[in-house]
Amino acid sequence: MAETADTRTRIIEAAHERLVADGVTRTTIESVAQHAGLSRATIYRHFPGGRDELGAAVVSWEVGRFFDQLRAETAGAAGFADWMVRRLTVGRRLLDEHEVLQDALEQEADQVLPPLVSVMPIVLGMLRDELAQRLEGEHLRPGVDRGEAADLLARLLLSFMGTAGSWQLDDPAEADRLVREQLLAGVLVTYDR
Amino acid sequence: MGVTARDWSEQYLTADDLERTMVAAALRCVARWGFAKTTFDDIAREAGVSRATAYRVFPGGKDRLVATVLHHEIGRLFHEAETEVAATDSLEDLLCTGIRLAMQMLTGHEVLQYMLQHEPEVVLPHFAFHRLDVVLAYAAELSSPHLARFLPEPAVRPAAELVARVVLTFSFNPSDRVDPNDPLSIRRLVQTYLLPAITPNAELRSPR
Repeated sequence: MAETADTRTRIIEAAHERLVADGVTRTTIESVAQHAGLSRATIYRHFPGGRDELGAAVVSWEVGRFFDQLRAETAGAAGFADWMVRRLTVGRRLLDEHEVLQDALEQEADQVLPPLVSVMPIVLGMLRDELAQRLEGEHLRPGVDRGEAADLLARLLLSFMGTAGSWQLDDPAEADRLVREQLLAGVLVTYDR
Repeated sequence: MGVTARDWSEQYLTADDLERTMVAAALRCVARWGFAKTTFDDIAREAGVSRATAYRVFPGGKDRLVATVLHHEIGRLFHEAETEVAATDSLEDLLCTGIRLAMQMLTGHEVLQYMLQHEPEVVLPHFAFHRLDVVLAYAAELSSPHLARFLPEPAVRPAAELVARVVLTFSFNPSDRVDPNDPLSIRRLVQTYLLPAITPNAELRSPR
């Protein structure tokens, strides 16, 4: 059993390394098999759906890694609002710099988005829990429910992280304004206008 | 980006009967067979036009079809909601009505829901990352005139965009906290979280 899990992880890591080196369109089951030092048959045993199934597994593995990195890079933020601003700006930068994702969105958006969207409820849940914890001890506006506010903030953080819309979010001052005026105005007493 | 929100809304409003017939035919075909199995010929036949005419209306053929149909549907849905939305007489009611109708349309749209379930690869690219910018800009443009009845000009665009994001997240990742068929849950969202974020100062907020 442990060996099976190890082999699976080894295949996913090999696939990720091929994606980084070769790009999305040139990564094949064959190139992943060679890189992992395994036979194609072994890969198909772990991923009977072939390239699609392996791709989906790489996506959810990479999403986990992405949020670990985001958590690590935003660990030092001082207050709740600063933490939100950093999550947003660092998250956007990491997405921009994520060459495999950008390449995949360009070349095979139809293949990368379904698995990415299907892990979103899990991502949303993780972020919601983290936000609920962070909101503990903050001064909430009257009528605000902590879990409900955490859910809404998690949704909006993900929305702005993925799509900036009309906001210039690489400008820290504008990201700060977005967080304080639009995201936290309804949640924390401090930013109630 | 190429296509702007303005192009989109005009595409719907200025569409002639033939274009609308083609869009409706495309929706019927996809509802029946799914997108992958629908051919451009099927759509032409369903619309009762020749192949040549069909290509004149949709020069990109099947490849451009999803974007075109999506533009038309969003335009049509906004158009249909117009009367009810225009009848609201406070910012709070406008937000409640607009969010409820938009969510009901998205979650109740049979073809969209069928495709999200069975052919997500066809629709999801239009609702994520930078391509979502186009949808947001379009939705914001269509809702801005209504918001401008209650908000000073600089507050309109950010408000419109925030509302569009709220509608999309709760439509694509449903929650009983914000349920389009439970108007009270939407009113709570609006009163508690959205009005403070949207109104520049407290006096503009409508009384309960």
